Amino acid sequence: MQDISLHLLDIIENSVRAEAKSIKVRVINNVNKNRLRIIVEDDGTGMDSHTLEKAQDPFYTSKEERIKKVGLGIPLFKQNAELVGGSFKMASEPGFGTVLTVDFTLDHIDRMPLGNLKDTLLGSIIGHPEVDFFIHLIYRDRAAEQCFHFDTKAIREELGDIPLTYPDVIEYIDQSLLEGIQNTNMEDV
Amino acid sequence: MKTLADLKKIREKAQEDMKLRGGNVRIKIVVGMGTSGIAMGAREVMKTFLEEIAARNLTDVLVTQTGEKGLSSMEPVVDLIEEGKPKVTYGNMNPDKVKKSGG
Repeated sequence: MQDISLHLLDIIENSVRAEAKSIKVRVINNVNKNRLRIIVEDDGTGMDSHTLEKAQDPFYTSKEERIKKVGLGIPLFKQNAELVGGSFKMASEPGFGTVLTVDFTLDHIDRMPLGNLKDTLLGSIIGHPEVDFFIHLIYRDRAAEQCFHFDTKAIREELGDIPLTYPDVIEYIDQSLLEGIQNTNMEDV
Repeated sequence: MKTLADLKKIREKAQEDMKLRGGNVRIKIVVGMGTSGIAMGAREVMKTFLEEIAARNLTDVLVTQTGEKGLSSMEPVVDLIEEGKPKVTYGNMNPDKVKKSGG
């Protein structure tokens, strides 16, 4: 993975595969604390403590029926955070869901860039119309705090039976995300 | 700034559209978005499909994302499911191939 937004996409796909109906994504760029924090919270099937530990092992995968014998998504994300003085925490409860909190040291010279957050979110939202997404972007520095909220549930209620892949809807979501990302200074982190 | 009022307008327009052509989904596109797919550029493939749908104003095409299916060496992998035809799986996809597809 080249940037954090690609890892985020991978993690969101994990939540979807865990049958999440609702996924909360928070990205917090906290200049005061010199920290870039990503939180992904889902209400999927969750994991017991054994599976939770195994999920961080590159030679474990939940896809047992396949020939595939590795699961690199989580271990790589963890490694990329920890290599730059960050941290990677996962908490889960079977039947309730999973919360993942990943911290990066903002000004570490080897920190991967945040990358194209917009395309990650756009693809996830439209590619999984059955899932409610709550997006929350926060920028904090000494002078100010800027927030952006985006809730796909409200959008779907407004749209009724019009699919999210309807051309104007794609443009609407794309534009909304772009504005939110610009307002919270997340374009070039 | 985009508001929910904008969505209301979109919905009215879309409902007119639907009345005219019955609201059927003619083509379903499924982009493989597993770890190896993402690492090979599946997100850009997904994005290009969405751009093309918006640019060509295609109202009968659905795009979704799915996990890995064991074709890691062919990633990004895309399934195309067209009404009344057998499913076709495309490997080694990229944004250029997406733009050339269909018409």
